[in-house]
Amino acid sequence: MTFGARARVVNPRLGTYFSIFAALFTVLFLLVLIFEQLSFSEAMLQLGFFVGPILIYAGIGLSVGSNDTLNYFAAGRRVPAAYTGLLLAASAMGATLLVAGTGAFFFSGFDALVLMMGTLTGFVVMAITLAPFYRKFGAFTVPSYLGRRFESRALRIASAVVVAVPMLLVLAAELHMGAGVTGRLIASNPDLIVCVLALSVAITTAAGGKRSFTWAGVAQSIALFLALLGVATTVSVIVTNLPIPQLANGPIVRGLVRNEIHEGLQFIGTWPLAFELPGDGFAVLSKPYTQPFGAVGILAFGMGIFAIAAGISTAPWLLPRVAATPSVYEARKSLGWATVFSGLALLTVSAVAIFMRDFALDAVMSERLGPLPKWLYDAAAAHLVSFDQTATRLGFAGLQFDRDGVLFALPVATELPRAFFYLLLAGAIAAALVAAGATTVSLAAVLAEDVVQGMSWEPSRPETRVWIMRVFIGIVALCGAMVAIIAPTDPLRLVLWALSLTGASLFPVMILSVWWKRLTSTAAIAGVISGFGVGALAILISEVGAISVPSPIAGILGLPVSFALAIGLSLMRTETTRHTLEIVRDIRVPGGEIVYDREMQRLQLRKHGRT
Amino acid sequence: MIERKERKPYWRHTKWQVLASLIPFLAIVMVLPLYADQLNANRFLGFPLGYFLAAHGFFVIAVVTVASYVNRQNAIDHWHGAHEDV
Repeated sequence: MTFGARARVVNPRLGTYFSIFAALFTVLFLLVLIFEQLSFSEAMLQLGFFVGPILIYAGIGLSVGSNDTLNYFAAGRRVPAAYTGLLLAASAMGATLLVAGTGAFFFSGFDALVLMMGTLTGFVVMAITLAPFYRKFGAFTVPSYLGRRFESRALRIASAVVVAVPMLLVLAAELHMGAGVTGRLIASNPDLIVCVLALSVAITTAAGGKRSFTWAGVAQSIALFLALLGVATTVSVIVTNLPIPQLANGPIVRGLVRNEIHEGLQFIGTWPLAFELPGDGFAVLSKPYTQPFGAVGILAFGMGIFAIAAGISTAPWLLPRVAATPSVYEARKSLGWATVFSGLALLTVSAVAIFMRDFALDAVMSERLGPLPKWLYDAAAAHLVSFDQTATRLGFAGLQFDRDGVLFALPVATELPRAFFYLLLAGAIAAALVAAGATTVSLAAVLAEDVVQGMSWEPSRPETRVWIMRVFIGIVALCGAMVAIIAPTDPLRLVLWALSLTGASLFPVMILSVWWKRLTSTAAIAGVISGFGVGALAILISEVGAISVPSPIAGILGLPVSFALAIGLSLMRTETTRHTLEIVRDIRVPGGEIVYDREMQRLQLRKHGRT
Repeated sequence: MIERKERKPYWRHTKWQVLASLIPFLAIVMVLPLYADQLNANRFLGFPLGYFLAAHGFFVIAVVTVASYVNRQNAIDHWHGAHEDV
């Protein structure tokens, strides 16, 4: 194994490769558009839009296969900042924040900004307090980092078990959401679709582990952004004549403010701890778009931002990504890109919600001015909207929208060709695949590296490590599919649970491990376990209804406990060794060797010395 | 490679930079939602101001925070000779 500078040179042809992919994806869309006008069989076009991109992703993943550990676990440490940022943004969003997030903006308006502010704050906190130091350390997984940093196998295994839970939740949520989206594209048994998606994730990532995931994931993220921005821009041009959907919807918002109350939407007051983002399924609009704190109370808004930010910034399926950047400087820059991309995507999502609100308002106002608009019947036929087609007066109360269909109702409401509808679906499937891929690869790496081989620090032979991980990719994909099939829960709720659990269990210890030298390994173990335990307990109690903190953000209650225990136990007994102090000092300085590689070499030398 | 006696000043410098980047940002996160309702009475580009600041404004603030941090921290690394060789 060589870790020379040469191995970390960025491939200069990346731009060309991904331009080719973007062109292919666009061509696919244009072909479907043309064939649709030629009245080609609709089922064929739908199948093409589902199978085509998935085959390309699998092709990319298989073609960059590798048996080298550095490639397999860290994508060769040569992924440039912009690509890493794109991947971070896309895997943090996933199909859940894309599809259910649009629904949340549509129903809750201002209050859904908790998702956006939380995600952006998470990336900013990660950029400033964690990412550069994690990159300098260079570990492949978060438990490996914690274990090596504190020289404690117990901590390594405990944190591996703890981080596995939220990752499995996110994986199940993404597969569930992905299956829901795919169900709109091809008519098939939803359980079968979950299995097909899980299989496609496993095939795409198994050949080259994180390397396969990286390059297939970049393609998926590009597909997601092309689809979302393409459709939103088209609609924006049609509705407002300006090709900037994020900014051009201002006058529409003004119209919403003026007319929604007139049409019967009342300002609603909630108590400060309410957290009522819309759930799965159909619902009616209930609050004016720009009214703050009608669905999410002001206290819950602050707590929610904090919970999501803490979860995103230490997410074990996001943070190891920065270990794949070529340098510490690039790691910092990659978080800047992640902020740009996720903010852009979420602003676009909010613009989509505003356009849809405008169409809904039109529909409600229309029957006084004339017959109901035609798109309502199309959308109802596609199961995106439901309304009483015989009613004489269609108020806001008579018009129900599917939360997970709002995004896809946009091209229908604008009466664009069906190809735009398929394009959005393909983008959402790509989002589900990239987030599912991120969790699958990271969880498989945690299980293979920190659970199975966690008892010994000495790394086994490179081929053994790679093959154990390959087996675990299959197992994890299978488990994710099983959870998604057996316990179908609202994906948005699952992701929020996962984020607040991660924030409660990992955030305090991760922050302190960099910023406080005196944190001891016992205190770190106590912090991780207590944070997780209290967080999980709070979620359970809140689900039963015994405490009034809403369950999506209740997990964050574990965070102060974890902080207190970690700091308190460290103060009681100081036991930091010379070696760990040296590691902390090295983490804090960008220059010099990568700590993880140096430690691995030291261990291997010791092993050779013994035999 | 950083010199031994530079480590302490380097870390002090870094800590101040982190505080200077994080504290204003976190203050905005906490304060912005509180005043959204009052700000909504005003208009900007057609948006109610409170909503505009919490969505578009916050996005710009986040990007500027990270960008300025990356720039400053890189300068600090070079100043103390703590930067990477690559």
